[in-house]
Formats: sequence, structure tokens, C-alpha cells
Amino acid sequence: MKMEDMPLSGPDNTKLESLVHDIYSELVEDACLGLCFEVHRAVKQGYFFLDETDQESMKEFEIVDQPGVDIFGQVYNQWKNKECECPNCKRLIAASRFAPHLEKCLGMGRNSSRIANRRLASNNNMSKSESDQEDNDDLNDNDWSYGAEKKAKKRKSDKNQNSPRRSKSMKHKNGELGTIVTSEPYKYNFNTGISYETLGPDEVRSLLTTQCGVISEHTKKMCTRSQRCPQHTDEQRRAVRVFLLGPSAPTLPDADPVVENDGFDIPDGQTLMSRLQWEDSSDISPTDSASSKASTNPSDSRRPKKKKRPSLGLNSGGGGGGGGGSSSLTGGSSSSQSNISLSTKKKRPKLSAPSIPSIYDDLN
Amino acid sequence: MCQDYIYDKEMEQIAKEEQRKAWKMQGKTTHKLCVKLREKYSTWEPTKRELELLRHNPKRRRITSNCTIGLRGLINLGNTCFMNCIVQALTHTPLLRDFFLSDRHKCEMQSNSCLVCEMSQLFQEFYSGHRSPHIPFRLLHLVWTHARHLAGYEQQDAHEFLIAALDVLHRHCKDDNGKKANNPNHCNCIIDQIFTGGLQSDVTCQVCHGVSTTIDPFWDISLDLPGSSTPFWPLSPGGDGSALNGESHTTGATTLTDCLRRFTRPEHLGSSAKIKCSGCHSYQESTKQLTMKKLPIVACFHLKRFEHSAKLRRKITTYVSFPLELDMTPFMASSKESRMNGQYQQAVDPFNNDNKYSLFAVVNHQGTLESGHYTTFIRQHKDQWFKCDDAIITKASIKDVLDSEGYLLFYHKQFLEYE
Repeated sequence: MKMEDMPLSGPDNTKLESLVHDIYSELVEDACLGLCFEVHRAVKQGYFFLDETDQESMKEFEIVDQPGVDIFGQVYNQWKNKECECPNCKRLIAASRFAPHLEKCLGMGRNSSRIANRRLASNNNMSKSESDQEDNDDLNDNDWSYGAEKKAKKRKSDKNQNSPRRSKSMKHKNGELGTIVTSEPYKYNFNTGISYETLGPDEVRSLLTTQCGVISEHTKKMCTRSQRCPQHTDEQRRAVRVFLLGPSAPTLPDADPVVENDGFDIPDGQTLMSRLQWEDSSDISPTDSASSKASTNPSDSRRPKKKKRPSLGLNSGGGGGGGGGSSSLTGGSSSSQSNISLSTKKKRPKLSAPSIPSIYDDLN
Repeated sequence: MCQDYIYDKEMEQIAKEEQRKAWKMQGKTTHKLCVKLREKYSTWEPTKRELELLRHNPKRRRITSNCTIGLRGLINLGNTCFMNCIVQALTHTPLLRDFFLSDRHKCEMQSNSCLVCEMSQLFQEFYSGHRSPHIPFRLLHLVWTHARHLAGYEQQDAHEFLIAALDVLHRHCKDDNGKKANNPNHCNCIIDQIFTGGLQSDVTCQVCHGVSTTIDPFWDISLDLPGSSTPFWPLSPGGDGSALNGESHTTGATTLTDCLRRFTRPEHLGSSAKIKCSGCHSYQESTKQLTMKKLPIVACFHLKRFEHSAKLRRKITTYVSFPLELDMTPFMASSKESRMNGQYQQAVDPFNNDNKYSLFAVVNHQGTLESGHYTTFIRQHKDQWFKCDDAIITKASIKDVLDSEGYLLFYHKQFLEYE
């Protein structure tokens, strides 16, 4: 007999109702008991407390949804000073410039092989450690400048590293970004390198009596040239000795030995150059003067194709460049560069230039 | 006698085992339409040791829907936003997250250069509760050393990075299964399980109508857009798909479904591209059609916005509307077969959940071809969306997401089967 056919009243109805009631209560009981057993088991087995959470901690992690701050309640753009250690060379690099550094450090990227080739081709008295410095870490990091755009554009169209147009785009880039060489050394305390750390004090002492010894920022190795090496200043040599043998000095004005000297085209932004402080005024590098073309740097003649760079001082070589402080911390404004005092001294551009071919043309 | 209920460990183990067997048995005889469960799902219960540890550490945080844990910014290392956006998408891929957080990767690589280990580390960082942005310099280093073609400080394509990263992960994952076979078809690593789909390509000879089929694995589907130099419209006949996914055609905007329809349309390969037909034993004209043979758990759609043809290089900024929920049924090879068999109107099978996908991440590119910036929208806790712009994570609305241009779209299968 179907349920629907049942009359609503009658003796059978009570049986029906009690049946329904039974089913209903059994369902309810099942549900309740199920829960009871779950809790009971949890208590008995000892994991009931796991559900509790720490209220204060929970509050800390609430999502914030207000303008001007991110979900953690932090203000935007406060992360400019993060640093990280390069897995390759173990140096501390500013995070926002890590990618360009890594590119050169690993020897990838378009310019690194060019640089390496030139270096190999011209390796004379240069010690290996010095030739390792090709870093121009800074290039423009977050912001895209015109030059960088060109470079990217070029890359997209022509991934061939040997393309003849490569140098051209690099020039553009150099000009725009005007980076140059590491500014980091000036920024943070010199991280003790491996090579001289492994030497005992006596060894260091004896080394320093015969060698220049200025520690390269990039490779942390001591310069093995003579004590009158043109790459470094006496000031630097003194500083290194103090650092290694005397009470530790806070920061080393690291010489950037690199060779950048020659690589750069004398930028047109002479004014920038003139703001850079040179240790020895006598050698005002040709970059200081307006007629950079007149520089004694033979490398200039090597690159007739290089265009004028509109800005930023690259430390073009004229001897000694090295290092201009390009620091482009954030987008490389030229002003930031001028704040860096160059310790590298281009002492004798005439002397150094010939020995150091422009290896780093683009350093940037 | 305490008169209380007790829980005997051995009895429970026996019960559990029997239950599991019964479940498996049931699964084998189940009707096709029911969800196939091959393994009974059992909840986690802590061991004594775990309990002890937990008791000693009372500061427990539960990830509720209003919790920031799981979200973290990423520092831009110098035009590395292309990497950051992919990392955000991957760390918010639920299956991948579950895999790494449950420590399923057992590394067999000697050196420190396993990218999968680095990914694992990345998940730990994201779930650590730290609020300062993470610096993914090790990740960059590893990817560049393992995928040299990518290396170089220049702005790069996020899609290219995704493929390269998946490739390196896949290679490093292979060691997990102990399968040394280099056969891509047999790899069962987590990357393949999640991202690899099969694309069926059918070439039909116009003369004898013989079909030659090949199936290729894929990690993403690259879709042409209107406005590119290859013609977009008209699409093939058959109104499949558009109504299904609830996108409106009245506004005239191109939809993702339009792009997919175009992708799976039969294409006549002109007389200049004759294929050797094994049936006719001669070169004949043919039509080619692509359909999905097997869909991955995570389907990534790449809208080809960057055009690099011989004469011009530009970015196509045509707006393409994409849905939150996507049904891929009309684009499957099986649907195509039934279409060919005369059933034009596909009855939507409400019980067939196999092909339903939900959007969980969108990577956008702002700017021009040469210089631009990538950002990602990711979905967390079912319905909350967040915008990840390098180190800045902010809350976003669904409207923000759906109105955005869209470059890479990540969809996750809605219903998963346990294996």
C-alpha cells in the first residue's frame, strides 16, 4: 500500500506516525552521537586541543584592505635596501640589481662573452683576479629607460650574440644608463673575501711587502701587481694594510681595478664627470675635460662606432676609469653617481691605457 | 572498569583496513557516472610524537579566509617581474602547494642545484608568515643555470619563463620517481600530473577521408588573437561553446571561448602544403584539426599578444573576455567525435564534471613590447582575489580580474579524482 494512498486518519495512522517518529529520532541520534563520538575520541586520544588557535597570532595575520598599504598593512616601496648573496661569487649584492649582476657573474648575456673575449685577447700583465672584474652591476634596474628598451627590442629580434648590431645597442644602453661599475663597494662594509682570509697574518704581511695588495671588490682577491701598480692608489694600499694588518677598518674604498678604463666612450656628460672626485687631481682623466676625444686613451680610437652618449658618466676611461660610481641604485640618476667618490685612480692614463684594452665597453 | 568507551589501536587498524577494502570494492563496481574514488579518503590523525610537539607549541595559527599566510611579495631583482608573476601563479596552484607543503619531494640530486628543492623552499617562505617580501635570487640563479637560453638581464617573456621553469622542474622531478626513463610519455612527476595535457592533431585527407592522428603533450595552449596578422574570423560553423560558458557575444568583445573555437577549428591546409596520405599513397590536400585529447589538471592559456612577425613587432591589446568558470567539453576530442557522428547539439551532461575548470590566476602585462611590467591576480580561499605586483600584494575584486587584459590564464580543474 503506498503511503500516499493512506487515509489521514485511522488506526493504522498511529503506527505510521510512530514509525516515522522512530526513523526521525534514529537519524537525529545518529547525527548527535556521531559528533559526540568524534569529540570523545579526540579528547581520549589527546588531540582535541589542536583546534584551538592562538588569538593574538591570528590577529597579526589579518588581511588589511586599505589604500596606500598592502595586505600586511605595510606601506609600499619601502624595500629598497634589500641585499642578497650571489651564489656564484658570494658577494653581497643589492637585490634590485641582482639580475644584471648575475648575468655578468655567470658570464651569460650578450656582453659578457664579448668582455671575456677581449680580456683574453689582451691579457698581459693583468692578473687573473683583476680581469675578473667586469661587473657593472648596476645597470638600471627597475625602470626601463630608452636605452634598455632598445636593447630589449634588439634582443627580441635578434638573439644571435654575435650580431654586429650588438655593440651599437650596448652603446645606447650605456649612454642611457650610465652605469658603471660597482657602487656597492661604497655602500656596505666589505665582506671578507676568501682568498686573503685563508692566509695567515705572516703570509699576508709578506705578501703586502711585495705586492700592491688592494683587494678587488669583485673577487675579493688581492691585487698581485707591483706596489706601484697604476690601478690602485697609495691611499688604497695603505688602507688595505691597515685593514689586514692593523685594526680593522670599516670600509674599504675599493678600487675597482677594472679596467674599465678604456672601455668607455667618453660620455658627453662631462659635467657629470667633473663632479666626480678624483684622488689625484693631476691626472684628471680625460673624462673630466670636455674634450674627451683628446684623451690619451687609445681605446677610443678602437671604437669609432660608439655613439655619443647623452648622459651619465661612464667612467670612461681615459685611463683608469674604472669605476665610476655608477650606482644607479634606483634607476640610475646621474646625481647619484656623482656622489660617489672614485677612489680608483687613473693615475697615468697614458701608461695604463695601452696595457688595458677596452674590455669593458659596456660595463653597463 | 571505567565504563567509558575506549579506542583500541589494533581494533581500529583492522576496522580501517576493512573499510578501505570495502570502499575499493565498491569503486570497481560503481556506475560510470559516479565519481571514481579508488582510495578511501581518511582524515589525518596525529601520532603521539606529533601530539607532543604540538602541545609544546601552543601558538597555532589556522589559515582562515581572512589570513595573510600563504601570500607574500617578491622583490624585483632587476626587471624580473616576468619571473615574479609566474612564481605567484605557481605558488597559488592548489595541487602544487599541497604537494610541496606535505614534503613529497625527496631529492636525489647531489648538489645544491635542484630546482624542485628550491620550489619547496619557496613554499616554506610563502607560508612562513613573514610579511617582508621574499628575495628570489636563488631561484633566478638556478633557473638561469639550468635554462641557459633564458639567461640575460633583459626583460623577458613570462610565458617563456613558465615553460622553461616547468621544463627544469620536470627534469629535476624525474629523480623523484626513480624512473630514469627519458620517455616524456611515461613520466609521472608532479609537474606532469598537474600540467601536462594531450593535444590531438587530426589530419584528414580530402580525397580518401582517411584520418591520421597524433597526440602531443602540451603544458599550455597558445591562442591567436584578433588583430594579429593571421586572420581570426570567421570561425568554423557550429555554435558550440559560446552559450555554454555564459559569455555574451552581444558586446562584440572576443571571448576566450572564441579563441578556443578558432584553435580547434578544422583548417584547410592549402595546396602548397600537401600531406602524404597513407591511404591514397600520394600527396593530397588535407584539413587539420586540433582538439584536446587529455586535459591537464591545470590548464594554462597563453594569449599571443606579442607579435614578432617579419615586418612588425607589436603588442596586441585587444580585450579578450574570459570567464571564471570554463567548460572545456566542446573542445575535447571526444566531443569532436560525437559531432562528426552527426550529433551536433551536445546535450550538456550535468553529471560530467570532468571538463569544468575554475580560474585561479591571471598574469597581465602592461606597457609596450619593449618595456612593460607584469602583474598577477591570484585566487585564494575560494573567492578572494589578490593582485601581486612584485613586492606589493593588495586585495582585488573579481571585477578587476575579469576586466583585465589577460596574458596568461590559469584554470584549475574543479573536480579531482583521487588515485
